[in-house]
Amino acid sequence: MNREMKLRSSVLCTVAALLCATIPPAQSVQAPAVEFKLVVTGDVPTPLALTASDLAAMPRETVEVADQDGQKTTYEGVALQEILKKAGINFGSQLRGKDLAGYVLTSAKDGYQVVFSLGELDANLGGLRAIVADQRDGKPLFEYQGPVRLVLPNDKAGARSVRMLEKIEVVKLRK
Amino acid sequence: MKKSWVLAGILAATFVTLVGVGHAASQSAQPAVQSDFHWKLPKGFPPPKVPADNPMSDAKVALGRYLFYDQRMSVNGAESCATCHRQELAFTDGKAQAVGATGDSHPRSAMSLVNVAYDAVLTWSDPGETSLEHQILTPMFGTHPVELGLRGEGEAYIKVLRADPKYRELFAAAFPGEADPFTISNVAKAIACFERTIISADSPYDRYHYSREDSAVSESAKHGEVLFFSEPLGCFRCHGGFNFSDATDYEGSRRRGVEFHNTGLYNVAGPLSYPLPNAGIYEYTHRPEDVGKFKAPTLRNIALTAPYFHDGSAKTLSDVLDHYSAGGRTISGGEFAGDGSHNPNKDPRIRAFQLSAQDRADLIAFLNTLTDETLPHNKTFSNPWPDAKPY
Repeated sequence: MNREMKLRSSVLCTVAALLCATIPPAQSVQAPAVEFKLVVTGDVPTPLALTASDLAAMPRETVEVADQDGQKTTYEGVALQEILKKAGINFGSQLRGKDLAGYVLTSAKDGYQVVFSLGELDANLGGLRAIVADQRDGKPLFEYQGPVRLVLPNDKAGARSVRMLEKIEVVKLRK
Repeated sequence: MKKSWVLAGILAATFVTLVGVGHAASQSAQPAVQSDFHWKLPKGFPPPKVPADNPMSDAKVALGRYLFYDQRMSVNGAESCATCHRQELAFTDGKAQAVGATGDSHPRSAMSLVNVAYDAVLTWSDPGETSLEHQILTPMFGTHPVELGLRGEGEAYIKVLRADPKYRELFAAAFPGEADPFTISNVAKAIACFERTIISADSPYDRYHYSREDSAVSESAKHGEVLFFSEPLGCFRCHGGFNFSDATDYEGSRRRGVEFHNTGLYNVAGPLSYPLPNAGIYEYTHRPEDVGKFKAPTLRNIALTAPYFHDGSAKTLSDVLDHYSAGGRTISGGEFAGDGSHNPNKDPRIRAFQLSAQDRADLIAFLNTLTDETLPHNKTFSNPWPDAKPY
């Protein structure tokens, strides 16, 4: 490859990279047939990759959410706090001092992200109810919602109820 | 042209006073006495708002249905409401721009009346038009353009109604106790009641979501739904909720105001970036930042409502996806030349995204699941006249 060709190739690669960076791609059509795992990572003593079976074996909760027409939809799953405890995060009297500068970054398959502080998730502080749901009225979630999603039954709007949840990352700003 | 629209507004406002259908009164919608009327609402659909001064009743709905399909409502007997709102086309007309009884071309495309009971605003770009009872007067009496072309205060039309034995029966039942029920106000109330009953939710999407028939939609459509609700495309941000429109209102809703959107369809040279007379809500607010902002209409029954956009300038759903995936439409020549993606008022949520051929097919498959195949044949909404006169 002569110098000019190398230069051309380099320019083309740069243009392609810029295009990829500025135009977000839609999700791939054919999802690989691999088992879904909910990743719990970051500043946690025990990183996790939870399968559907793992979630099924954990303490389960149900919450009811009212639709616009007043009808109730029942979501079932595991409290976000339970998952964080399993990863080694302390709540209650052990969540204090520097821990309160910690937060949880939840990320969806499509890139959507929502942050919760550890303090707002603690039952003695914010007491936020947040369920990692994998069932909707006794059936798997719709594809655009799942396989798992957050459900925050006490939120006034749905913006923090992350659909297609795939990663829970704990970040401790003070260590 | 702007002046003529103002005149049309003055005319409509004058008529409101004359016939006593208060716009402001209708805006303050409250739970109304429903009399004998019972909504037959599908799953997922909340009770619509009904103005306190026009509660629903079966008799008003019945009368409104006859009036809706009666061509005698037009100055020359050529058109009725159903001319531009055809049941088989989800109560649109299939045209880029509607045409009035005397041949006037409307600057915008006829909107669907399906689920209109849930529309927080009724037209493409008038933020103040929230009352069906009031809006109906514009096609009846408006002069720029002429739609149905009724003249004066509608005396000749009222005379026709009075002379018809069927209407004598229907008006008496709809407005019992009124010494003279034959008024334009009552015509508007009855048609509004009928239109509020045009509720459609028997689409494959509804069967999948609300009845949980997992086979009601294809795998392709399910993937299209993922794309529709994904962060990169974000279609749901303006076309969300049970009616796939962010301009939706209902009893108990927490909606505050209605957002209108400039989607980058145009960026023409000159002081306004959208071709006149369709400058969006700017026409009413006169704020430069409002040029090109229109309502996000419902996507329900979208397979029946082509062509698309306020001026019918997209013939197919594929054309629509071309526009959105490019983050705005580029028109390379002619009087509307310009790169819409650089329109200064463009909604920041309209951003370019990549779609594979399969993604595009999947997204269209999903959009098509929003169409209720029973709607065109639903006898509840069809022409009730015995001879089913053409409209």
